[in-house]
Amino acid sequence: MNNTVLEVKHLKTYFFTRSGVVKAVDGISFGLRKGESLCLVGESGCGKTATALSILRLIDSPPGRIIGGEILYHGEDLLRCSSERLRQIRGNRIAMIFQDPQTSLNPVFTIGDQVAEQIKLHLRLKHKPAMERALYLMEQVGIPQARERMKDYPHQFSGGMKQRVMIAAALSCEPEILIADEPTTALDTTIKAQILDIFRDLKQERNMSILFITHDLGTVAGIADRIIVMYGGRVAEAGTALDIFDQPKHPYTHGLFNCLPNISAGRNRLTPIPGMIPSLIDPPEGCIFNPRCEHRMPICSEERPKEVVLSGEHFVACHLYS
Amino acid sequence: MKRGGLQGYIIKRLIYAALIAFGVVTITFFLLRLGPSSPADKYLANMSARTQDPAQVVAAIEARYGLDKPVYEQYIDYVVNLARGDWGWSFSTSMPVMKLIQRHWVYSFQLILLSMLFSASLGILIGIYSAVKQYTRTDYLATLFSFIGISIPNFWLGIMLILVFSVQLGWFKTFYDTGLPMFSLANLKALILPVITLGTGMMAGYTRYARSATLDNLRKEFVKTARAKGLPERVVIGKHVFRNAILPVITIIMFDLSGVVFGGAYLTEIIFGIPGLGRISFNAIFAGDYPVVVTITLIGALVVLLTNLATDIVYTWLDPRIRYD
Repeated sequence: MNNTVLEVKHLKTYFFTRSGVVKAVDGISFGLRKGESLCLVGESGCGKTATALSILRLIDSPPGRIIGGEILYHGEDLLRCSSERLRQIRGNRIAMIFQDPQTSLNPVFTIGDQVAEQIKLHLRLKHKPAMERALYLMEQVGIPQARERMKDYPHQFSGGMKQRVMIAAALSCEPEILIADEPTTALDTTIKAQILDIFRDLKQERNMSILFITHDLGTVAGIADRIIVMYGGRVAEAGTALDIFDQPKHPYTHGLFNCLPNISAGRNRLTPIPGMIPSLIDPPEGCIFNPRCEHRMPICSEERPKEVVLSGEHFVACHLYS
Repeated sequence: MKRGGLQGYIIKRLIYAALIAFGVVTITFFLLRLGPSSPADKYLANMSARTQDPAQVVAAIEARYGLDKPVYEQYIDYVVNLARGDWGWSFSTSMPVMKLIQRHWVYSFQLILLSMLFSASLGILIGIYSAVKQYTRTDYLATLFSFIGISIPNFWLGIMLILVFSVQLGWFKTFYDTGLPMFSLANLKALILPVITLGTGMMAGYTRYARSATLDNLRKEFVKTARAKGLPERVVIGKHVFRNAILPVITIIMFDLSGVVFGGAYLTEIIFGIPGLGRISFNAIFAGDYPVVVTITLIGALVVLLTNLATDIVYTWLDPRIRYD
C-alpha cells in the first residue's frame, strides 16, 4: 500500500480574473502509486489541466495561484520546495506531456535539439552523447528515419509524430512519473490508438507511474488502473477502473457513460448530460452538480456532499449514498 | 532545392534593387536640376573671381561642365558616367564626388553603427525584462520612459544634451572634433551625445516592440514545455522566448535604418557638427551641388535595399519556417 510516489492533498488552485475568482481546483486529494496509471476524467473546464499543471507549479501566474494544499513527491512538498529543487525534479523525475503537439514544440529549434535539451541538462551529457540518446529515444517511440529527422524542424512533422517527439523528450531522463495532459485529444483516431499503445508499453516495460488526463472515457478504458472523475474542480467519484466502469455511482459518472456510443447495449441515441458546466466563479451551492442532476434532492443545494467510501478504493461524493 | 529557391529570390531582389536605385537617381536628379538655381552660381561665389564679368564666368563654367546643354542630355550624360563608375564633380567643394564621399562616409558610418548597436541592444534587453516583469513597477517605468523617448524629437534632445552636458556641466565638447583618431576612447566619448541623440527614439521603439513580442511568446505552449523540462528561467527566456520574439524586432530595426540614414543622422550630424554624409548632403543641397546630393541619396537607397535583402536572408536561419520559393 505504501508505495505512493506522489500524493496530492487538498489542492486548491484559483485563477484571479477580472470577473472574479475561478476556483478551478477546489480541494482535490489523490495518490499515485508506483507503476500505476491513474486517469483524471471530466468535461472541459472541470480543473483537470489545472490539477496537472499545479503538480509541477506550471500554472500561469498571474492570473493563477495555488492557494492551498500539499503535493508530496516521496514525502517532499513540491509546493514549498525551492525553485532550484523544483527544476531538478521537472523533466527529470516528473515529466509532462501537453495536449497540443502543434504548439508544444518550439518552432525555431530542431527536433533533435529539443529532445536532447533535458538530457544535457539533467544527465549532464555533452552534445554528442546527448544527441545519440535522443536518437535512441526517438527510435523507441517509433519515429521512422529518426537520424535524418532529428535535423528537421517541428513544422516538418505531422501531429502524431510531434506527439511522439514530446513523449521521447519526456522519457529522456527516465522519469518516475509521467503526467500526460490529454496527449491524444488533438490527434486523429488511428494515431490516437498508436500513441495509447506507447503509453501501455511504457507502463509495462518501465514500471512508470502515469497520471493520464482526458475528457474521453473511451480512451481511459484501455490504460487506466484507477479513475478519478472530476467535476467543477472537485472529485465526484474515484475507484479502480473496474469500479467505475462496472458500478458507476455518481449521477455525473452515469451521465458520462450515457454520452458514449455502445454497440452491445443497442442504444440508438446518445443521451447528453443536460445543462452546461457551472461557472466556477459563482458555483452552485451545495453539490456543484445539483442543477444538472436528475436525482436532485433538497439537501443537494444546501450541503456540499462528503466523500462516501463504498468499497475498498471506490468512493463517491454524492448525497444519494450518505 | 531550398538553396536554389533562395538564390533565385536573391537574384530577383537584386534586379528590383537596381530598378529602384535607377528610379531614385532619376527623381533626385530632376528635382535638383529643374530648380531655379544653377550650380555654377554657387561655384562662382566660392571662387570669388570678382575681376571678371560674372555672367561670362558662369557661362564658361556651365560650358565646361556641360550645364548649358538641355537637361535631358545632362541627365543621360550623368547616368552614363555613373554607370561607368564616374560619380561626377562636386562644384561646391571642387573635388570629385568619389573623393568627397571617401573622406566623409566613415563619420556617418560610425555614428549610425554605434547608434544602432546602442538602441537595439538596450531596447531589446529592456523590452524583454519589462515583459518578464509585466505589471511591476519596473515595467511601468520602462513603459513611461519609452513613451517619453518616442515622443521627443531628436533635434530637440540633441540641443538639450549639449546645453546640459556640454555647456552647463562641461563634460563634453559642444562640437565634434575631427582631429581625434577613429579608434580611440576620446573619439568614443565625443560620440556619446550624438549616439544618445540619434538612438534614444529608436531604443524607445525597440523597447515597445520587444516587450510585446516577448509577451506574445511567453504565453505560448512551448514555453510551458521548456519549463516542464526543468530548464532554468534564463534559458527559457534567453533561448526559447528570445529566438521567437527577436524576429519582429529585427524587421523594425531594419525598417528604421532607412529612417536613420535619411533623417535622424542628417539632423544629428548638423547639430553636433559631425562632417558625415548627412552634413555634406545638407551643404550640397543649399549649394545646388546636385552630383553630391544624388550620390548620397543613392547610397542611402542602396543601404536600405541591401539591408532589407540581408534581413530576408537572416530570417531564413532565424526562423526555419520562412522559405522563399
